[in-house]
Amino acid sequence: MSHTRADLEIAAFAIDEVVEGALTGRDGTTLLVASPQLAVGAGEPALAEATVEVVRPGDRVRITNVLDAVVPDVRADDPASSFPGVLGGTWNEPSDPRIHRLTGVAVLPVCDWEASGHVTADEFPPSYVDMAGPGQDRSPWGSTANVVLRCVAARGAPVAEADAAIRHAALELARALASTTLDATPTDVRRVGLPDTSDPGLPAVCAILQVASEGPLTDTFFDGADLRELMPKVIDPVWLSAGRLTNGAYDWPGVRNTTANYQDLALVRALQRAHGETLRFAGLILAPGYLDTAEAKRRGAEASAALAAELGAAGAICTTFSSGNSHTDTMLTVRALESRGIATTALVCETNGGLTDHVAEADCLVSTGNEDELVPAWTPERIVGGGNGDAGRAVAMVHYLGSCVETGDGAWTAVPA
Amino acid sequence: MTVVHYLNQFFAGLGGEEAADHEPIRLEGPRGPGNALVAAGLQIDLTVACGDDRFALDEADSLATLLAWIEEAGADVVVCGPSFGSGRYGYACGVLARELGRTGTPVVAAMTPDSPGVLASEGAAYIVPTTANVAGMRDAVPAVASIASRLAAGTPVGSAEEEGYLPRGLRVNARSEALGAERAVGLILAKLAGDVRTEIAPPTDRVAPPDPLADPASAVFALVTEAGCVPQGNPDRLPTRHANVWLRYPIGDRAELAPEDYLSVHAGFDTTEANRDPDRLVPLDAARALVQAGRIGRIHDEFFTTTGVDTPVAVSTRMGQEIGAEIRNAGVDAVILTGT
Repeated sequence: MSHTRADLEIAAFAIDEVVEGALTGRDGTTLLVASPQLAVGAGEPALAEATVEVVRPGDRVRITNVLDAVVPDVRADDPASSFPGVLGGTWNEPSDPRIHRLTGVAVLPVCDWEASGHVTADEFPPSYVDMAGPGQDRSPWGSTANVVLRCVAARGAPVAEADAAIRHAALELARALASTTLDATPTDVRRVGLPDTSDPGLPAVCAILQVASEGPLTDTFFDGADLRELMPKVIDPVWLSAGRLTNGAYDWPGVRNTTANYQDLALVRALQRAHGETLRFAGLILAPGYLDTAEAKRRGAEASAALAAELGAAGAICTTFSSGNSHTDTMLTVRALESRGIATTALVCETNGGLTDHVAEADCLVSTGNEDELVPAWTPERIVGGGNGDAGRAVAMVHYLGSCVETGDGAWTAVPA
Repeated sequence: MTVVHYLNQFFAGLGGEEAADHEPIRLEGPRGPGNALVAAGLQIDLTVACGDDRFALDEADSLATLLAWIEEAGADVVVCGPSFGSGRYGYACGVLARELGRTGTPVVAAMTPDSPGVLASEGAAYIVPTTANVAGMRDAVPAVASIASRLAAGTPVGSAEEEGYLPRGLRVNARSEALGAERAVGLILAKLAGDVRTEIAPPTDRVAPPDPLADPASAVFALVTEAGCVPQGNPDRLPTRHANVWLRYPIGDRAELAPEDYLSVHAGFDTTEANRDPDRLVPLDAARALVQAGRIGRIHDEFFTTTGVDTPVAVSTRMGQEIGAEIRNAGVDAVILTGT
């Protein structure tokens, strides 16, 4: 089992204002962004265009075609190894890893795949972040200052190459912004990792992080490699904070995981906080969802449960990636865990018709909201990202990035009406 | 604040059964029960009406006309009915509410709890329960006016229990004080301590399986699929995902579904292999072989299809009920349902 207890130090630098200027830098809690300087994807042959624009909470802007959200991070001990596997470096279990992280600001890559001819109409659902109006609080990134990386894929470029170029550009932009903190004093420092010992009388609880990797535009990446052949495996939570797990899945934005979720997973934070107090954090399992066949689903669920048992877990918390098909993976995993005597809870979103799937053993569920609920119509003054952005029309919750994410990173829940 | 009121031909003063085929009509100001709503404090700016039979027989066009008028008026709230125990009128109110709900327009209706309009509305309307006949008008009007006034003003409306409207079966979004992760940790610790709690109650609409067929060899089988199987060219434009309609196509005496005639428009899986042999979607060839072997009676002469991807469960439930009603009326004994 490739499991390590090495700690990672995360040094946070709070940003409360982002302004555009001639040079990229930082002045206290003000981030200066030189947009032309940061258009890092402009040289990529698979991209026809890459531009950077800053939008702030309160701007009457709807950001459209949002692919992902990335927390600006840099490996202060080895900047070249930030987001290993994507930006070039490798992890190699460093002895004293340190991340410098900007808080209150995010990088949002956007791309209109339909406009460049890479997908057909309706193949991908709309993906929005509103900076004002009734939908502002639906996405967590409605309240952060956002550095939007607007990419135009080169017509005729293979979709996988265009996507790789955008992901690379977004992570490079995130690293460049965070690099303004190198040699600076952080506002907060915390350590990710677990103390070696804890009270053996406390119940051991593991987490199962579900991801999906189905092909170009619907992939998840570990060290830059897609996870299409993933079988459940135990991973070190530190690896998430180090940026080894990144998103390349752009389907239903309200319920899929973003890179930002992986970088600072609330479930890991919550379990680490409780570790030694009310429970023992037994470990983190990375597991596939959206599996194609009944046999693959059964096999995946059983493998996750076997790993949880191997970790000595008395309890397990399952996350879910997206909706529909993957809910069956979650439910079968709940059943497999419970059949081994491991008490289980799972995080799932709901629809107007309830749950997509359910097993009797799923008697302890966390609701991450109702993805079908309509958010009242709003007409932004400006759309950043292309298209008409459904201006003036009610928009379903599921179209807001991260609104009902089933990793535990959101505060929305559904209640009876 | 703009309020639009929907009525059938009778309550709009257009006539009784003889006017049931009346085409959609728009009338300025209140009509019939609209005057009672005005007396209860709710202004009525526009009344739209349609004959019950016309709506039932020409639903798509009637609906499109009514929705266009309501959108043009810029309605802040729409009141439907009261339709009391009227099946056709209640259904029209429910369907109109359902479609308005998709645009985010609030709707208040009033009808009996067993009206087909309750199901048709798919939870989109605040439905005030009434008696089966107009004797319940006096009780219904103040409740409808009160809820509609608040919805139009953007003032919150209380729960079904507090306000007396029928539970909509909806789950609405609310912000919790704690992140989902923190709630999950709390729930698992409670469960480990023997206190099992959940934020989502288990579904209660589990369907009991019917009795086995007494004699399959004499039974009529229908083929139903959510695989998005349609004739080449998708002539009726079945949505590739998020479908809210189902379609039917004649099978006739076909022995199989040939790839030059049929394809899948389903957006949720790789259709390459299925399109090489559409019988993998709708197993007509295998069903014909069973008939030939005398193991089943015959195949219903139409197959039913939709795309089951990203479809809200409520919509799937409604489509299942509609298809079920169709095939039951057609004398079908059993269904082979192929999923993807």
